[in-house]
Parts: sequence; structure tokens; C-alpha cells
Amino acid sequence: MNCGDARRLFGACWDDEITLAERDWLESHFASCAACRAEYETFARAIELVGSLPRAEVRPGLAERALARARRATAAPDRLPVGTPRWIPITATAALLAIAATMTLQWMGITPAGRMTPRTGVAAVLEPVLVRSQDARTTASTVPDDRLATVRGEADAPFAGGVPDSLFDHSADVEFILDPVTLRKGRAHTVLRLNPNVQGEKAVITF
Amino acid sequence: MGYERQVDSSVAPDRDPVSPPILSLSDEDLMARVAEDDERAFSELVRRFQGRVMNLITRVLNDRECSDDLAQEVFVRVFVHRRNYRRGSKFTTWLFTIAANLAKNEIRRRVRKRNWFSLDALQEILNDSAIQLADPTEGQETALQREQLQEAVGRAIATVPEKYRVALVLRDIEGFAYEEIGQMLRIPGGTVRSRINRARGMLKRKLQPLLRREGTP
Repeated sequence: MNCGDARRLFGACWDDEITLAERDWLESHFASCAACRAEYETFARAIELVGSLPRAEVRPGLAERALARARRATAAPDRLPVGTPRWIPITATAALLAIAATMTLQWMGITPAGRMTPRTGVAAVLEPVLVRSQDARTTASTVPDDRLATVRGEADAPFAGGVPDSLFDHSADVEFILDPVTLRKGRAHTVLRLNPNVQGEKAVITF
Repeated sequence: MGYERQVDSSVAPDRDPVSPPILSLSDEDLMARVAEDDERAFSELVRRFQGRVMNLITRVLNDRECSDDLAQEVFVRVFVHRRNYRRGSKFTTWLFTIAANLAKNEIRRRVRKRNWFSLDALQEILNDSAIQLADPTEGQETALQREQLQEAVGRAIATVPEKYRVALVLRDIEGFAYEEIGQMLRIPGGTVRSRINRARGMLKRKLQPLLRREGTP
């Protein structure tokens, strides 16, 4: 223990909240350390001075004056009108307007992400399909629609491996076919699915 | 009309020969009567505690003019909020909580209005007092010197920051226990101890020049 420890005990010593052992140690420290002893005496004298200050005098009639004021204070709140805070109607109106605006936008089909996300119907038409350029091209033109999905699946099979398709340049042997229009080397070609048995330019339909 | 009935009901219990005289009631019992609109019980409570409340506020604010109004306000609040007093809790704790809060509010109001001594100004006044005391014309402490010393101590207390000052006054002037002070200020007992220790340290440093010269033969 040193002087710092001794000075930390000053308050507890004054309040008589230290143990007997601590008190003995403090007294033995005071016997050997004049500075700490003087410090404690100053400390104790300061608190004594605070405690010995004269009591403040009270003007007579405090109870009566307090009671008179209390009666007025008790009666006052009943007469005061209870006003509604001004922010409540303003906030309610703003909230209603915000809700109405949101509902109107939703009804009109405008959403914040509307420009970024294409509609599902359009995506179905514009979605590109990968096919082999040589073999698959002829197959695609001759095979009916219900078989086309199978052919497409076979054509996609080698690319469905672990390596992402976008890492390789397939521009030489792959073309994009947009249903119902085929894109080939930058030009559009209509896919013709004519029955080879049908000949002539006109057909007559009778009921 | 309602008020007249309250006055009549407040007078009745003391006339009742079965009920104990109002002077012999405990503070808590008196407050229970005040909660039932007994104004005589209220007057007795004011009589019992007006000095301590006044003293607390005077020492915290170091302003006697304002202390009277504030002490009055404390008792007004006791009466207005008489039904908020919880039976079984200690009355002095409740009363001095109100007093301490009002004193703290007043300090803060003054700080906001900047109508308060700056710490430097107070330190100068304190040093002046110390110099005056250090140069006594006679060897014995006169009444004037004692008064000056008390004024200097009062000013020194006023320079201690508010949160330490209130705890210090409650402990070293009003003599409350640490636990009670903790309840009044709504802080833990350890915080009360630390605040009071810091306040005492500050006070000792402020009063040190004055005390050293006072001790010089």
C-alpha cells in the first residue's frame, strides 16, 4: 500500500466505513507520512466546515403560503382546455396521401423497379434459344414444334456442364433463333413449316 | 363547496378522541392523512421539514432569496401530488427527491439563462476571502471572520458541479445515508459514493488555501 491507496480510503474513513485492519494500516501510514496526514486533516476540516454551516432560516407562514398555492395549482388544470397537438392532423393527412399515391401507382402498373424488370409475357417471346448452327438448323426447320424442345435440349446438353457457356466464343457455330423469327448473321428469316405434300398457292375451305 | 368539505374532513380526525394527536404521528402517517386531504397534517409536515428543505436548497443554490420560493414550491408539489405518495415508502426520501429535483432544475435553468457566476469569478471571490482571512488583525477568530469563512465555504460548494453538489449536500449537510441518496437521485449506491468522494475532493482543493492560512498561527 502507498500514499495513493491511503488517499482513496479518506472518504470511507471519514464515513467510518473502513475495516479495523484498514484503519490500523491508515494510522500507521499517517505516522510515517506527514504529507498524507496533512492531506487528511485538510480533507476532514473541509467536510467539517460544510457540515457546520448555519441552517438557513425559514420565513414564517411557509405552510400557509404553500397551501394557498397548492389550492390554486390543484384547481387550475380543470379549467385549462385540453388541446390536440397540431402535428397529429398534419401527420395523418401526409400518411393518407402517401398511401393513396402508392395505391394509384400500383393500379397504373408503375413500380419503382418497373423499368428494370421486363414483363413476363414479353420475356417469353424474346428469350433466345441456343442451337447447333449446321445440324440443328436443318433439324429445327423440319422437326415439328413438339419435337423442337427435345432437339433444343440435346443441343444444350454439352453446354450444360460445369463451365459457364459465356466463357467461350460460340459465334462461329451457334445462332440465335427468336420464335417465330430466326436470326442468322444479322438478318431475320421467317421459319417456314410447310407440309411438302401440299402444293399450289390457294386453298379452298368448305364447311 | 368541494374545498370547504375538504377542510371540514381534515379537521375532524384531530378532534376525534380515539385517533392519536397529530404531533405524535410519524411522517408516513401524516402523509397518509395528507393524501386524504387533511390540511392540518400537511401543516405539521411543513413545520417538521421546512428547515431541512430550505437548508438543502439554500446550500445547493447558494441563493437565499430564491430558496424561499423554491422551498415553498417543494411543499406545493407535495400537496398537489399527495395521492402519488406510496404508502410504506419513506416520506423523507420522497420529499427530498422532490427538493433535489427542483434544486437541480433551478441550477439548469440558471445555467441556460447564463445568470450565474462563472467558475473563474467564484474562484476569484474565494481567493479574496482567503486573503482577507489570512490577514487577521487579531489572533482570535472573530464573528466577522467566521461569517466570511462560511460565505467562502458556501461559494466553494456552489462551484462544485451540480450532480456532485446535490449528493454532497444531501450527505454532508443533511446527513442522509448513501442508500437513501441513491433512491432520491435514482442512481446506484456506488455512484453516490463516487460522486460524493469527487465532490469532497473538489471542495478540499478549493478550500485548501483558505484552510492552510486558517491553520497558520
